[in-house]
Amino acid sequence: MRTMSFAKFLIKPVAFLVVLILLDQLVGAGFRKIYFSQRVGQFSQTTYAIDSARQDIMIYGSSRAVRHYSPSIISKIVGLSCYDSGRDGLMIPYSTAMEEISLNRHTPKLIILDISPRELGIDQSKYEKLSILLPYCDKHPEFIKYIREISPFEPYKLLSKTYPFNSSIFILGTNALFPKTVKKDDNGYLPLEGKMTKPEVDDYSLRMNKRYLKIKKRKDIPEEKGISYFKTFLNNSAKRNIKTLVIISPTVLKNPFYLDNQTVEKELIVKLTRQYPNVTFLDYSSDPHFNFRPEKFSDVFHLNKQGSEEFSNSVALYIKATLTKKI
Amino acid sequence: MAFVPIYILILGFTIIIDYLAGIYIEKAKDKRRRKLLLAASLIANIGILAVFKYFNFLNLNIDRFLGKFNYHDPIPYLTILLPIGLSFHTFQAMSYTIEVYRGNQKAERHFGIYSLYVMFYPQLVAGPIERPQNILPQMHTEHRFDYELMKSGLKMMLWGFFKKIVVADRLSIFVNSVYNNPELHNGTTIVIASIFFSVQIYCDFSGYTDIAIGCARTMGFDLMKNFERPYFATNIQDFWRRWHISLSTWFRDYLYIPLGGNRVSKPRQYLNVFIVFLVSGIWHGANYTYIIWGILHGLYSVVYMIIKPYLRKEPQSKAAATAIRIGNMALTGLFVTFAWIFFRANSVTDAFTLIHDLRSFGAKPFFGDGISNFAHSILAIFLLFAVEYKMEYYPEKFNFFNSPNIALRWGSVAFTIILILLLGVFNGGQFIYFQF
Repeated sequence: MRTMSFAKFLIKPVAFLVVLILLDQLVGAGFRKIYFSQRVGQFSQTTYAIDSARQDIMIYGSSRAVRHYSPSIISKIVGLSCYDSGRDGLMIPYSTAMEEISLNRHTPKLIILDISPRELGIDQSKYEKLSILLPYCDKHPEFIKYIREISPFEPYKLLSKTYPFNSSIFILGTNALFPKTVKKDDNGYLPLEGKMTKPEVDDYSLRMNKRYLKIKKRKDIPEEKGISYFKTFLNNSAKRNIKTLVIISPTVLKNPFYLDNQTVEKELIVKLTRQYPNVTFLDYSSDPHFNFRPEKFSDVFHLNKQGSEEFSNSVALYIKATLTKKI
Repeated sequence: MAFVPIYILILGFTIIIDYLAGIYIEKAKDKRRRKLLLAASLIANIGILAVFKYFNFLNLNIDRFLGKFNYHDPIPYLTILLPIGLSFHTFQAMSYTIEVYRGNQKAERHFGIYSLYVMFYPQLVAGPIERPQNILPQMHTEHRFDYELMKSGLKMMLWGFFKKIVVADRLSIFVNSVYNNPELHNGTTIVIASIFFSVQIYCDFSGYTDIAIGCARTMGFDLMKNFERPYFATNIQDFWRRWHISLSTWFRDYLYIPLGGNRVSKPRQYLNVFIVFLVSGIWHGANYTYIIWGILHGLYSVVYMIIKPYLRKEPQSKAAATAIRIGNMALTGLFVTFAWIFFRANSVTDAFTLIHDLRSFGAKPFFGDGISNFAHSILAIFLLFAVEYKMEYYPEKFNFFNSPNIALRWGSVAFTIILILLLGVFNGGQFIYFQF
């Protein structure tokens, strides 16, 4: 009886495992098809940035890159093609991965990296969010070393064909069901609508000051791995002698990194960029054209369309005036 | 909270003390001697808990108090880590000696079996806190491989993993971003984060419990139920009949009843209830946030006991009964969620900052790095409550996991695994209750 029961236990799970593997393959294939047939939205932008982008100017960074740089304005003023491959919520490890994959394919004339000092601070989420690269790992094994940052087991999880599409069901669903509601990007650029109000900025300023009182005594320790990714990014462009602009884009408060106890990280960015002759650092976080100008911001982190166009204009004019001759 | 191999000795120490105490309590004819032996066992257990969990907290408070008079506490702080699951296994060990003392349980002569009772790995770190009457006899029985128990246990574990990976760890992303930066968020965001935390802690803890009970079941052991869909509770007493049942009943049996229970005057009964919740708060951790959480639940329970006789019992129609039930569930959920603010906040100051900022409820909420994570959180909550609703009101219907139809049975299990792969958060970290 015991033997029979145990044999039953062995046979049935094997049969169930086969069913599960088949279902996983089927669901995974379905998701793959939907994912790579996206024509609008952030997944299609990422796919384009990874597989196809060959513009003269390549922009990397987080949501502030996506929302702040208009490639059409930059192209019009500078006279070079431009693509914005930033991605919401992603940070320096992602920018480095995207730069590496794109430099394997072509050499742009100018690279822009939008960075925030917090990207060099301790924040595990910057690695966890690299899961966005999972759907591309089979075609681009270069990404495997990046996804190991999420967990050393990540490459094994890729045995599942469904897992690479983890957490993408909402975006895939809305893009597939309501394609007309998805905003079309301008070469990766997606400006934000809406304006902040003065009371909102004042409230934010108050909250940041309150927070500063709480955190000011904490020791500000940058994260070695984050710094290493930043250095890799700069090394990659230096090796190919590509002119590179590292930019801290405008903030609604004047230099909020001080209030966020990230002064050390900011100084590190300045120090490291100085070590590379091909790199220029621009800091807009204390620019009076943007600080405390709520009408130019959509929220406390991002410029709105008006603000981003003004900012793109300013960056483009700088490139034209100082760098075009050298490119 | 940590696993340090040398800390096994602590477990070894309490096991030896309680093993011997059990035997000698049973042997002792003299009531005074029995009492003394029980006291020695309880002091050893509570002493270990006090040193590892509360010593530094007490020392800090003494230091702060003396500081007001320009004195300094000369007692040094201990540089020790809290052994994993300490509060759970000491409580389980204490229940053994108390039950032997009361004559409800025979002293265990087999040292290996008694050690297993304390260290039974599925429930060692976060319960359910078992009673010797339930688990010790099972440890004396030979357990043969049982296909049905194995299947049922694995399915229970799967549902536990769903609760932990799909719901709790998903919600924790939003909750952590708000609760770790309380100054930066408005009332709307705080309300959403607090509701999310209510669901997160339930799924984190009950998910662990399901995994523990399921794991034990695969080996033929039947552990006690620890949760009974607590957010369907219609009042605070009902909530505590459904939440962390093994701890609530532990406090009922070993604290509330010895204090006099409800065999005393009403005011004394209220005090007893309040004491139980205060101790429960302290049990959770050496932090004022847990103490306030316990006090709040004590107050809720006492107020409910006072107003209970005045509450209308029989609604006139079925519709009215449903409306009242939903209203009561919402109200109970509201009070429980408010208390969770203290439980989750990193400090009492943070908790009051969050409560103060509730006044800006209605302002545009913060969605983190985009709406996607938020939408997945809502989807996870919806899936959870759809299943919980079925289990609460239609326990016999739609039992897909146990359907006689093999396609439905296998399909539902496989679909749940696929859902975990699609919606799960796989780097969510530790179970919250492992720290207690």
